[in-house]
Amino acid sequence: MGDSILDVIKKRRSIRKYKKENVSKNILLQLIEAAIWAPSGSNVQPWYFIIVDDANTIEQVYVFSPGLLGKPPSVILICSDRKKAFETAGTLGRDELCVMDISMAAQNIMLLAEEIGLSTCPVKSFNKRAISTILNLPDYVSADLIISVGYSDEMTSTPKRRSVKEVTFFNTWGAEFNG
Amino acid sequence: MDEKEIIKLFAYMITSARGCVDEPKIYGPFRLVDSISKLYGILEKNNLIGNEEVSKIIEKIEDKKYSCMTDEKEFVTMLDNVIDDFVALLNFNKK
Repeated sequence: MGDSILDVIKKRRSIRKYKKENVSKNILLQLIEAAIWAPSGSNVQPWYFIIVDDANTIEQVYVFSPGLLGKPPSVILICSDRKKAFETAGTLGRDELCVMDISMAAQNIMLLAEEIGLSTCPVKSFNKRAISTILNLPDYVSADLIISVGYSDEMTSTPKRRSVKEVTFFNTWGAEFNG
Repeated sequence: MDEKEIIKLFAYMITSARGCVDEPKIYGPFRLVDSISKLYGILEKNNLIGNEEVSKIIEKIEDKKYSCMTDEKEFVTMLDNVIDDFVALLNFNKK
């Protein structure tokens, strides 16, 4: 029997060193399939995904993305159509829900990747202007998050986590959880 | 040497500078350190540096640079140690 969802969640790490081995287009498309099943505010599904697996284009993205580390063989840029979000869900949709929507899609990508033996890292440290120009985005589309995708070439340790007890209250703020 | 490699490094550094305006404070030191790694990589690739001591220092940096995201104390200790190494390497140590 395979890992449970919780096992996969706990195993995922942000990887910053990758093998040179390429990820097949078929697998990358499976990750997008996982992404599009994320929930979204007002069911807007504001996302677009640009898979970058061409070495020359990755290099261009890499130069303007200081947070993109370890030379992954492929990256997925998650974008949101802010115009569509505004038309359906107003300023709340455009300014807040979009960010949540693409974040939930990103988590789906990273968890499926982990389950099938790939590694990822979400990256926000990139220059939106430069990346939008390099990847030819229309002006109503926001470049929101890059996810590096590849095969890990890094040993990781278990990061510290705040405990459930520390971060959980029942019914009212501050009511201690004595579970 | 391919001039474009250096131009890419300049682009990376200026992008880092812009990012540091909005990003967490610790990212600034990391970007500087990462710039050293990238510059060293270019110099090494083009046989423009061959100092064994520098190579060891770069290894120390590579080994610990990502700790800035998980263990800031370890990262700062690495920086302090590497500064000591450079002082010694440059023979500026008067003790």
